[in-house]
Amino acid sequence: MSYTNISFYPLKSRFLIFKDFYLIFPFMCQVFKRFILVFALCFIAPAAFSQTDTLKVVADTTQKDSLNYYDMSLEQLLNLKGHDLPTELEKLINSLISVASKKPLNVRESPSIVSLITADEIKASGARDLIDVLRMVPGVDFGVDVLGVVGIGMRGNWAHEGKVLVLLDGQEMNEILFGSTQFGNHFAIDQIKKIEIIRGPGSAIYGGYAEYGVVNIITKQGEDINGVAISGIYGTTQKDYMRRNINFSAGKKINDFEWSISGMAGQGQRSDQNYKDIYDSTVNLKGNSALNPSYVNFGTSYKGLSFRGIGDFFHTTTIDGNSAKLAHPFEQNFNSMFFEVKYIWKVNSKLSITPKLNYKNQAPWETPAGDSTNASYLKTATRSTANITASYSPTRKINIVAGGEMYRDLAFDYLAGDTFYNGKTSVSFHNFAFFTQGLVKTRLVNIILGARYDKHNVYGDAFVPRVGLTKKYNRFHFKALYSNSFRAPAIENINYSVNNIIAPEKTQVAELELGYQITHKSIFTVNFFDITTKHPIVYFFDANAQTDAYQNEKSTGTKGIEAEYKIRGKWGFVGINYSFYTTQGKDRISAYRVTNDSSSLLGFANHKLNISSSFNITKDLSLNLTGTYYGARYAYTSVDTAFVPVLKKTDPIMLLNIFVKYNTPVKGLTIGIGVFDLLNSKFTFIQPYSNASTPGHAPLPAPPREFVFRLSYDLHFTGKKN
Amino acid sequence: MLVARGFTSTCKAQDVDYKAYTLFVYNFMKYVEWPEAQSKGDFVIGVYGDSPILKELQTLAGSKKLKGRTIVIKLLAKPEDCAGCQLFYIASSKSSAVKLLKEQMKDKPVLIVGEREGLAKKGAALSFVTDDDDALKFDINKKEIEQHQLKISSSLIALGTVVN
Repeated sequence: MSYTNISFYPLKSRFLIFKDFYLIFPFMCQVFKRFILVFALCFIAPAAFSQTDTLKVVADTTQKDSLNYYDMSLEQLLNLKGHDLPTELEKLINSLISVASKKPLNVRESPSIVSLITADEIKASGARDLIDVLRMVPGVDFGVDVLGVVGIGMRGNWAHEGKVLVLLDGQEMNEILFGSTQFGNHFAIDQIKKIEIIRGPGSAIYGGYAEYGVVNIITKQGEDINGVAISGIYGTTQKDYMRRNINFSAGKKINDFEWSISGMAGQGQRSDQNYKDIYDSTVNLKGNSALNPSYVNFGTSYKGLSFRGIGDFFHTTTIDGNSAKLAHPFEQNFNSMFFEVKYIWKVNSKLSITPKLNYKNQAPWETPAGDSTNASYLKTATRSTANITASYSPTRKINIVAGGEMYRDLAFDYLAGDTFYNGKTSVSFHNFAFFTQGLVKTRLVNIILGARYDKHNVYGDAFVPRVGLTKKYNRFHFKALYSNSFRAPAIENINYSVNNIIAPEKTQVAELELGYQITHKSIFTVNFFDITTKHPIVYFFDANAQTDAYQNEKSTGTKGIEAEYKIRGKWGFVGINYSFYTTQGKDRISAYRVTNDSSSLLGFANHKLNISSSFNITKDLSLNLTGTYYGARYAYTSVDTAFVPVLKKTDPIMLLNIFVKYNTPVKGLTIGIGVFDLLNSKFTFIQPYSNASTPGHAPLPAPPREFVFRLSYDLHFTGKKN
Repeated sequence: MLVARGFTSTCKAQDVDYKAYTLFVYNFMKYVEWPEAQSKGDFVIGVYGDSPILKELQTLAGSKKLKGRTIVIKLLAKPEDCAGCQLFYIASSKSSAVKLLKEQMKDKPVLIVGEREGLAKKGAALSFVTDDDDALKFDINKKEIEQHQLKISSSLIALGTVVN
């Protein structure tokens, strides 16, 4: 195989592709100019390596002919596919995913706007944590809540508290006191097999934490690991380490029996930069912003019966506080344990019934040693869930899913003298739900109808129907979706509700996606969305009562566009995506509003552009470049002399990362080095909300330029892989 | 206009693998039994409608025999041209003719194979289908097979899906 015959034709072609984007999105012009300069030389590489694709196809054809193809046994016929060997891109876009429909459908026909991220993409990028991975997804962004905690946003909307569901091997990672999930050196990304992301509503399937989206993380199981794997990452800035984590996993599948165990332990920091609080007091986060994960995940299955247990112990320290920085760093822990027993009973080839029991025990935001500047918080919560789901496929073209779910929440307050709103140190709630979904696939269109009804003993009911039409016509596909979704008030939303009145917030989302597979190796998709949330549950600080408070407000929402282009071959891949939101024509509430800009919400840029790329320099060496451009954002950064928060429009910012991965001659041993935030742009997480009575949290620094070293070793068990 | 190499005539979605379809057809021929009178001489496959499978079937005919019998491929301009055919292949483009063909060939010892999904329910003896994971499979209409005086082996039935 020779790499010396470099053709410049593909290089030209790719610039022309950029030119087309230039016409479509004038906004991108400036950004592309910068990116093109950085990436231009790298496009020579795929030009060279694309030669190898042709060779491979010839080889495959020859092999097909040289075998006695027509004498294949009947059993071997079962392995035949209806289409030619898929390209790397076609493997990706024809992958079956079930996050949006329970019934597996390919990405282009799945009835939601979805993103699929594979283990190879994560490994190639050298991503340090889930923020690096999810940041590359259109519409996904991050902001700071309080106490050093970073949460997720979706399509311009702050979604940290119970609006985006994070699933890890089917377990709901959101803590049930507030509904939040914490990001930053938290989840073990080395063990991820794939991430399926719904960038829109998912409540009709998943209930009250999936109002704006679902992040479904699926880790490698016994069959995938088939041995032992260890890996480590060390990241450092010029001043201090940013992370030093180790991962391990082991697993095996033997006939119908499969087991796996994986874990992670490490230390990290949010940043080494100075944090300037809203009152202009400064403290350095080095040594004061620990992000220390410990995690273990065990799963086993035999035929249809499976068990999973996860322990997630995320220990942090915070010095940034709520508004004013704290006198010293405080310990703050997020501890969770999850257990699941599930049985998939295949009654016959058409009907399966799956009963499932889940239990989770969580102690989030635990602050054992509080003082007058930062109160202690010692609450635990458990959720016990029973679920039964039936899936019936009377024909290949029809699938019906129906089921019921019931859960009971129980929370305890261990802080001396502290009680819940009922005057007791414990509180319990229960909820039951029924859900159904029908999928009909016709030659013209796939039709999906679904609905879920939840009834909670305190806040009442929520009914969320959805309808979707999808279809792939050779190169073209479309999705037309209309969904209702809701956010279930979490335990503390109820506890701190004004006058003990709180209702689920309800959202209506209309989405249209159009996609066109330009070549065997490239695809372009674009979608439009319109989100309206009625009666959003909004946090504020009740200055009179000197306590947190939640209440339903009027209405909020965004609308916008997301576009994505992907090209993928044996040489590697390039992906470009652009996302845009606006609040024009939408009601806005004071907590999220930007006073002098009617199209923006606090914290999140209207425009975001991502580029991810990986180039196989040789079979074992790859060069990986990723980048994110954020348009201007709005933040409250300080207060004036009357202690009124001052709004600031931040400059656009660009994050560029480079990572080189090398598969060493030692089988299974891979090393990687990289630099993240190459330009030392010093990104900050902005608080996407404000409140009238307190000034809020100033932007929290992320790691500046960080040098990363990765090492991983996979030792596969010998013998036949089952 | 983009003039990248990807926008040349090769630009299309993943191609249907008619070689795989041909292999299935060949196995249909091996595992279906025709009446004694149809078991001698050339084995004739009639292809009705425009389909890339024609070329693949011709390649098959050039390289294989069926139990010592020469395989002959005929492109049929109209269904009536199928006299002497043992296997009648309906291309996707002619799927709407399946009910008419069913009547025309009633009781004749001809195996009607439909390229398009769902034809086995409408009168073909066998028709192709691809699963969500692109696995190539086929549906079987046992009633039609028996009506045409043909016998299908149990091992072939086990691979397909009986639709009636």
